[in-house]
Amino acid sequence: MAEPIYTLKNVSYAYPGSISALHQINLEIAQGDRVAIIGANGTGKSTLLALLDALIFADTGTMHAWGKELTERGMNDALVQKDFRTKVGYVFQNPDIQLFCPTVKEDILFGPLQLGVPKEESIRRFEAVVEQMRIQHLVERSPYQLSIGEKKKVAIASVLIIEPDVLLLDEPTAGLDPQTTRDIIGVLYQAHKSGKTVVMASHDLHIVEEIADIVYVFGEQKTIIRSGKPEEILTDFAFLQSHNLIHTHVHRHLHTSHVHSH
Amino acid sequence: MCTTAPHTKTNGIVERTLQGIIFLLKETISNEEIASRKGLLQGCDPRLTCISIFLFLGCILLTKSILQLSFLYLACLILTSASAIHLGFFLKRTLLFIPLFSLFIVLPAIFNNVTPGDPVYAFKVFSFDLSITRQGIDSAAIFFMRVLTSVSFATLLVLTTRQHVLLKVLRIFRVPQLFVMTMGMTYRYIYLLLDIVQNTFVAIKSRVGYVTSTKTGRRIVGINMAGLWLKSYRLQTHVYSAMLSRGYTGEPQVLNSFHARPKDYLLLALSSTVFIGTLWLNQFTH
Repeated sequence: MAEPIYTLKNVSYAYPGSISALHQINLEIAQGDRVAIIGANGTGKSTLLALLDALIFADTGTMHAWGKELTERGMNDALVQKDFRTKVGYVFQNPDIQLFCPTVKEDILFGPLQLGVPKEESIRRFEAVVEQMRIQHLVERSPYQLSIGEKKKVAIASVLIIEPDVLLLDEPTAGLDPQTTRDIIGVLYQAHKSGKTVVMASHDLHIVEEIADIVYVFGEQKTIIRSGKPEEILTDFAFLQSHNLIHTHVHRHLHTSHVHSH
Repeated sequence: MCTTAPHTKTNGIVERTLQGIIFLLKETISNEEIASRKGLLQGCDPRLTCISIFLFLGCILLTKSILQLSFLYLACLILTSASAIHLGFFLKRTLLFIPLFSLFIVLPAIFNNVTPGDPVYAFKVFSFDLSITRQGIDSAAIFFMRVLTSVSFATLLVLTTRQHVLLKVLRIFRVPQLFVMTMGMTYRYIYLLLDIVQNTFVAIKSRVGYVTSTKTGRRIVGINMAGLWLKSYRLQTHVYSAMLSRGYTGEPQVLNSFHARPKDYLLLALSSTVFIGTLWLNQFTH
C-alpha cells in the first residue's frame, strides 16, 4: 500500500452549540486512492471533507496530512497554507458558493493567481482546463447566467486548474442531468488516471461503484459504520436499506407491478 | 371553509417592489448584451474609454457656452450610434428622470425674482409682477444641458462597458483591489439573493394565496427579511471558506488583461483635443 496522505485517529468535531458532526473517525487515505463516502443526510460527510481541506479542525483526536499534523496554528503559517492549498482542491456541493467572481474566467483563474502561479502558466492551465471541461463558450459569462450543470463544471474547472494531488468533491453529480453526470464521471476518471487521489461524498450509488475503490459508510451516530470494497457494500441491500441509502418500493408497468430498489 | 382573499394593498406593494427590482436587474442584464455588441466603444480598451468619458465630463463642467454643450451632446449621440445602440432606446433612458427632474428644479431660476435681468415675457400672478428673463433662461438652459449631457455620457459608459470590467478599471484610479473585489462579489450575489426572495414569495403564494391583512403581510415581509439575513450570513461564511480553499490570504490577486491598440488612442486623442479646446474657448466666454 502507498504512503498514506491522510491519517485520522479518533477525530471528533462539533459545531457551535455542541452539535456533534463527527464522532471518533479513524481512516487512512493513500496517494492514488479513490474513496467514496456515503451516508444519509446529516451524517457528517461534508464536515469530513471540510476537515480534510483544513477549513475546520478536529476538536479531539489527531489528523495528519503528508506526515504533518493538521492544526489551525500550523495552517496560520503562510508557506504551510500555500503548500497545502496547492496540494488539495475542494469542490463544494453548492457551486454558487464557489463561483464568487463576476465572470467564469476570473473564477477559474482565482485559485492559481492566489497561489502565486505565474500569469503565463495560469493562462496556459486555464486554456487546457476549459478545453478539458468543454466550457470555452462560458468563459466570458457571469456565473449567475449558467445552468446548475454548467456551474458544476466551472466549479470543478476552478479546482482542477490548481492541479492538486487530492481532489475532494461534495456531491459532484447531485441534481445533474445524465449527460452532465457522465461528463463529470469522465473528468474524475481522467483525474485518477493522472495520479490524483479522489475523495468524494455522494448519495449517487451508481457513480460510487464506477469511480471508487474504497467506500466508507457513515451512520446516524456520525461515525464510520462500515468500510470496504464497493462490490461488497453496494450488493448488501439489507445493510444499505437499514441505513437509508436505498429504498424499496413497488413499480407499476402497465398491468404488471414489481418490487424495486433505488 | 375556503375563501378567496382580496388583493390587499400590502401584498401589492411587496409584489410590485419585487417586480420592480427584478425588472431593474433584467435591464442590467440587457446592458451586458449591449456591452457585448460589436460597436465603437465596446471595441476600445475600457481604460481609455473611461479616461475619454471623464475628459468629456470635465469639458461639460468647465464650459459656459450652450453651443459648446450642444456640440458635446451631439458628439455623445454620434458615439452612441457608432456603438450599435438604438438612439430611441438611449434617449428614453437618458431623457427621463434625472434631466426631467433637474428641469423642474431649475424652473424657478428663469424668473426675475431669482435671476434678475432683461425681461423676455412679463405677466401678473395675484397682483405680483413676474417676468421671465433672458439671463434666467440662459442659466437654466446651461444647467439643463449640463445635466443631460453628463447623464448621457455616463449612461453611454455604463451601457458599453461590462460591470465587472468597469470595476476593474477602477484599479487604474488606484482604488484598492479589496474594494473592487467586494463590489464585484456584491454584484454577483445580488442575483442569488434575489432568486431566494423571489422563490420564497412564490412559495408563500402557492401555500397561502394572497395575504389576508396588512398585519399578516407585514409579518411575512419581516420574517422573510430575517430569513434572508440569516441566509446571506451563512452564504458569506461559506463563500469565505471557498476562497480560503483556493489559496486566498487577504489580498486578492487578479489578472488584468487590458490591451490598448493604436486605434484605441484615437478616442483618447479626440477627447483630449476637445478638453484642451474647451479650456481655450473658455477664455473668450464671459
